[in-house]
Amino acid sequence: MTDTATVQAVEPAPVDRHQQARRTTLRLTLLLIATSVLSLASGASGTSLWSALGDLIAGRELALVDKVILFDIRLPRLIEGILVGAALAVSGAVMQGLFRNPLADPGIVGVSAGAGLGAISAIVLAGLLPFALRDLMGSHLVSLAAFLGGWGTTLLLYRVSTRNRQTSVATMLLAGIALGALSGALSGILVYMADDDQLRDLTFWGMGSLAGATWSKVFAAGPIILLALTVTPFLARGLNGLALGEAAAAHIGIPVQRMKNTAILSVAAATGAAVAISGGIGFVGIVVPHLLRLANGPDHRTLLPNAALLGATLLLGADMLSRSIIAPAELPIGIVTATLGAPVFLWILMRRMPGMRL
Amino acid sequence: MQATDITVRLSRRKILHGVDFVAEPGALTAIVGPNGSGKTTFLRALAGEVPHGGRVTLNGHDTAHLKPWQVAALRGVLPQFTPVAFPFTVIEIVRLGLTAGTAAEDDSLPVQALARVGLSGFANQFYSELSGGEQQRVQLARVLTQVWAPVEDGQPRWLLLDEPVSSLDIGHQLQVMELARDYTRAGGGVIAVMHDLNLTAMFADHIVLFQSGRILASGSPAEVLTDETLSTAYGCNLRVNTPPPGSIPFLLPQVATA
Repeated sequence: MTDTATVQAVEPAPVDRHQQARRTTLRLTLLLIATSVLSLASGASGTSLWSALGDLIAGRELALVDKVILFDIRLPRLIEGILVGAALAVSGAVMQGLFRNPLADPGIVGVSAGAGLGAISAIVLAGLLPFALRDLMGSHLVSLAAFLGGWGTTLLLYRVSTRNRQTSVATMLLAGIALGALSGALSGILVYMADDDQLRDLTFWGMGSLAGATWSKVFAAGPIILLALTVTPFLARGLNGLALGEAAAAHIGIPVQRMKNTAILSVAAATGAAVAISGGIGFVGIVVPHLLRLANGPDHRTLLPNAALLGATLLLGADMLSRSIIAPAELPIGIVTATLGAPVFLWILMRRMPGMRL
Repeated sequence: MQATDITVRLSRRKILHGVDFVAEPGALTAIVGPNGSGKTTFLRALAGEVPHGGRVTLNGHDTAHLKPWQVAALRGVLPQFTPVAFPFTVIEIVRLGLTAGTAAEDDSLPVQALARVGLSGFANQFYSELSGGEQQRVQLARVLTQVWAPVEDGQPRWLLLDEPVSSLDIGHQLQVMELARDYTRAGGGVIAVMHDLNLTAMFADHIVLFQSGRILASGSPAEVLTDETLSTAYGCNLRVNTPPPGSIPFLLPQVATA
C-alpha cells in the first residue's frame, strides 16, 4: 500500500517491551531460586542448611531432628509459599485482565472470602456428609469446597456487574464488598456452630499463614494450583484482546465467552486452593501485577509468568519477615502483606491511569 | 456481504424491522440516516455484536456458522470509540491486529499501518495519552493490520467502520476516507456508518439511508441524495446542490429549514 522503505525511515524503532519482559523473566527466575535457598536456610531452630548440605556431600547421615526440620517443616513450607504466592499473583493478574481494571483482586472483591466460606463449611459441616464420601475425599474436601466457594462468588460477581456485555467496575467493587460481607457473616455463624477441635482448625483462617504447611496440604492443593497455572498462558492473548473491550476482542477472533469461562474457572481454582491451605493472604494479587505492568507493560503473555515468579518470591520474602520480626514467635503473613500492600493499593488509586474508569 | 431480514430488539424495543442489505466488494457502501435510525445498530448486527434475527453472509458464508477467528480473517471492525484498559503503547495496540484471524506475523505491517493513518512517530506513546481523534486512527491502524490485504486467496476482505471520521479534523477526514476508497479500489469492501453527508457524497459508491429502523432509500449518491428523500429522512427541509464542474451533490446547512 505504501512505500515501506520511506515509512520505516521516518519511524523511530518501536520500543520492544516484550523483549524487556523476557529478560525480566530470567532475572525473576534467578531471584526466586536465591530466595528459596535463603528460605530453606532460615528458621527458628538452629538447623543450618549449609552444614546439612556439607554432611550430605560428605556422605554422613543427617541427625533426625535436622532431617525433620529441613524436609518436613521447611521444605513443604517453601513449596507451599511458592504455590500460594504464584497462585495469588496470577489470579490477580487474570482477574484484572478479565475485569479490565488494575484494582480487581480475588482478595478485594470477595472471592477469597467466598473460598474461605467454602473451606470453613467443609471443616464444620463435614460431619453431615456420608462417611464414605468424606473418607474418599480426605484432605481434598477442604480444597474442593474452597474452590466451589471461590467459583460461585466469581460467577455471581461477574453476573451482577456485567450488563449488556459491559462490566461495571464500580458495581463489581461494591458487589464484592457485599459478597465478602455475606461470606464473612455466614463464616461467623459456622464458627459459632463449630466444636473445639474444629475451632482450632479455623483460627488460622483469619490470619493467613504458611505456618501450618505440611506435605499433605501441599499434595492436596498443589495439583489444583499447578493445573490452573498451566491454563493461564493460553488466556494471555485473549486477555490482551479483552483490553479493547469484549466486542473488539471478538472482532479480532477471540472466542470471548469461552475465554472468560476458562479465566473465571482458573481464578477460582487457584484462589480456592491457595485459600484452602494458607487462609486469606491479601494484596499479593494487586501489588505484583501492578509492579510488573509498570516495569514491562501490560502484555499478558509475559505478565502472567512473571507474576507467578514475582508472587512466589514476594510471598517467600514476606514469610521470612513474618518469621523473623518477633522470632521465635511468628507474625501472621497476612499482616506483613497487608502492611506492604495496602499503601500500594492506595497509591494506585491516587495516580489513577487515564484509561481507567471506576 | 449480504444481510437478510435483520431484526434487532434492544430491551423489548424493536430497533430494526427486517432489513435487507447487500454490499459489494470493490465499493464503499455508506450507511446514513438521522440519530436513532438504527444505522449503528445495523452495523453491530452485521459485525455480530448484537443478537439479531435474520442472516448475515460474508463472501457466501453464514457468519453464524464461522468460528471467531475465521470471521476475523475476513473482516475488521472499527467501533466509534475504544477505551483501552491498562497502559498499552500505540504500537502494542496496533500489533493486536496481527494476532487476529490468519493474519501473517509480518511485523512491519503495524508500522506501515500507522504511517497510513498519519501517526508515524506515535508508536511508543501511551494510547491513553492521545486525543480522541488520534485514538480513533490508532484503532483504524489496528483494524487495517488485521485485514491488510484487501483481497486474499481471491476472497475480498471487509472493513466495517462505525463513524470513522466523526472525531477527526477535516484533513484527517479526507485522509481516512481516501484510505477507505483505496481499499475498495484494490478489491476490498468497505461498509461505513456516516454522519457527514458531504463526505458521503464525495466518497460513497452506494448509499443506504435508514429511517426508524427501516431502509428508506438505497442507491448511488445521485439517487439517494435528493431534496425529497433527505427532507423526509431528516425531518427538515434540505436542498441538495451540485458544484458547476462536477456532479457531486453537496448540502449547505445554511439553506436548511426545520
